[in-house]
Amino acid sequence: MKLPLIHALNRLRPSTALAALAALAFCLGPVQRAGAQGRYNSQPRGSSVRVNGTSTTHDWEMESTIIGGYIEFGAGVTLDKTQAAPAGLSDNKAPAKAHVIISVRSIHSKVAHLPEVMDNLMCKAMKEDRFPTIEFTLTGLTFKGPHAAGQPFNFDTAGELSIAGVTNKVSFPVAIECLEEGRIKLSGSAPVKMTAYGIDPPAPNIGLGLMKCGDDVKISFDWTLKERK
Amino acid sequence: MKNKDDLPESSRRDFLKNASLAALMAMAGEMKLRAEQAAQTATNAGTTLTEIPPPPTVNFGVIGLNEWGREILRTLALMKSAPVVAVCDHYGAAMRRAAKEAPAAKTYDDYKALLADPNVQAVVIATPTGTHREIAVAALAAGKHVYCEAPLADTIDDAKAIARAAREAVKLVFQAGLQQRSHPEVDFLLPFIRSGALGQNVMARAQWHKRDSWSRTAPTPEREQELNRRLHKATSIGLLGEEGIHQIDVVSCFLQKRPKAVTGFSSLILWNDGRDVPDTVQTVFEYPAGVNFLYDMTLCNSFEQAYEVYLGTDAALMMRDFKAWMFKEVSAALLGWEPYARHDVFYNETGIGLVANASKQNTLLGTALSFQPYEHTPLYYALEAFLINAGQQAGAVKDFFQSYPDGELKDLAETLKTLKTKPAANWQDGLEATVMAIKANEAALTKQKITFEKEWFEL
Repeated sequence: MKLPLIHALNRLRPSTALAALAALAFCLGPVQRAGAQGRYNSQPRGSSVRVNGTSTTHDWEMESTIIGGYIEFGAGVTLDKTQAAPAGLSDNKAPAKAHVIISVRSIHSKVAHLPEVMDNLMCKAMKEDRFPTIEFTLTGLTFKGPHAAGQPFNFDTAGELSIAGVTNKVSFPVAIECLEEGRIKLSGSAPVKMTAYGIDPPAPNIGLGLMKCGDDVKISFDWTLKERK
Repeated sequence: MKNKDDLPESSRRDFLKNASLAALMAMAGEMKLRAEQAAQTATNAGTTLTEIPPPPTVNFGVIGLNEWGREILRTLALMKSAPVVAVCDHYGAAMRRAAKEAPAAKTYDDYKALLADPNVQAVVIATPTGTHREIAVAALAAGKHVYCEAPLADTIDDAKAIARAAREAVKLVFQAGLQQRSHPEVDFLLPFIRSGALGQNVMARAQWHKRDSWSRTAPTPEREQELNRRLHKATSIGLLGEEGIHQIDVVSCFLQKRPKAVTGFSSLILWNDGRDVPDTVQTVFEYPAGVNFLYDMTLCNSFEQAYEVYLGTDAALMMRDFKAWMFKEVSAALLGWEPYARHDVFYNETGIGLVANASKQNTLLGTALSFQPYEHTPLYYALEAFLINAGQQAGAVKDFFQSYPDGELKDLAETLKTLKTKPAANWQDGLEATVMAIKANEAALTKQKITFEKEWFEL
């Protein structure tokens, strides 16, 4: 069975059909090229940041589903998911600004029993009373290419990560996926050493002896943003 | 079909790690129950996993300062993070007595003035049931977290109005005063019963027996009438509403069902002092699958006081004073831990004590729980849950709008669902229990069967 559109085009003269297809392509263009440009603000749904760590007894995980902030691409930068590379790059670098804020108290342990105990340990370790947020400021965004149509764009990021009042330069890969309705999703992960931020890895007494957390943790995230109109 | 040998090594390792995490946290759960002992044995001065953090501070206002209101004040005074900053009652003597329990609190004789106090973040409503609707709806509109005593109301319309206001107040915590929902023993037993450990449900039975007139004296006839509102049908939904609602609620919670119908009987046998509320009632709640819940209450005799029994095809479970025992049929399969549990003899039956740490390890180490009553009253656990949930929710709401200034309430509601809250009766639980109590009282007064209609429970 022919699609109605094809059927209608078949009934037109060749030149008219070509003109109609061109017009159709022009109309559909923005939709097909749906991608990222301009400023994007954080969205309530579809975001989570996870902190995974180890200890002498077990692995542990904490999570927040609230990520605040924005990313703003410089003029000319467009992430068109049908293209092999973003437009507007200079030597693979994308002019962009981004700032991420995560409330420390919104990061909760995923254990079933007494999650507030682990939450409390982490809040204390991260000096939440003095430094209530984790913040990241983007300083560089470099396209890693090439990009396969329909897949996320892969970048290397550079930036400054502030935890517990200590700021360090960090870099980690991030994938930017163009979603529907003007939304994008940034995904990635970064290894972090607690001691690099002045945090003593928690070593709580569990009654049977000390449980010492490992210094290395992994912060991974899925961050959904929506284009500001 | 894959068997375990097909699992990649990393998956198996992850499984083992997760299993050890679960085991550790189970131990942490046990240690909560024996926190004092753990604290004594701790050799490290650092943080212990038994150290439960104080929740964020929430400023309380208490409205209604009769006997129960003052008990609420005494209970809140035990909590570090629950300062009572305002109290309210229109009766001066009640206010003066309450002031001794909460000397730092501002006093109001009009609840509207208390609700206008910006320092008050949460209110506990302990006024007569008929006044709950007006106060609870106004409190939610004023942006206060609300703990409303049970029953929510003495009519279904009023209960629905409160429930509707609570449902719409997405940013706020509303908790119905069904204390048992927050009790750690109930929290411990719920998954046990729901796991099918008793076999197929057969029936439930409960009683509330007390020898008490419920009559109160006061300096003036007007005040006396006010204090004795429970004795009159016009101002009370009787034994089933005033006290029975808590057991009706917990049985429905354990059975995980809504009853189909209730049949009742009632008599005024002993306290013929001018009251028209019966002093003795019996009810039968019919649940699906032929399971009935038999419940009787009296103010005329205290024999065996109060308890609930759940009968299954494999075992019975009795809950009494927030302790529980299981009585197994000889044909029932062993669960494995029974030999290590405490056993108590009840006439010709042996009850297996159900406590959180019945394990071989604890028995061998001599660290098994003694079968002591819980440290606090049911009211304490309920108010503590309210305090923790309200504080946590307030923080999450603030974080949400700081992160998403244009965020919508429906998105906030989704985010709030991810919070791990303390067990507590929400507006839905409060509405369901209130409807059941109102209709059970009606059935008892009319000595008839009433079939529950779906629309009574829905907004």
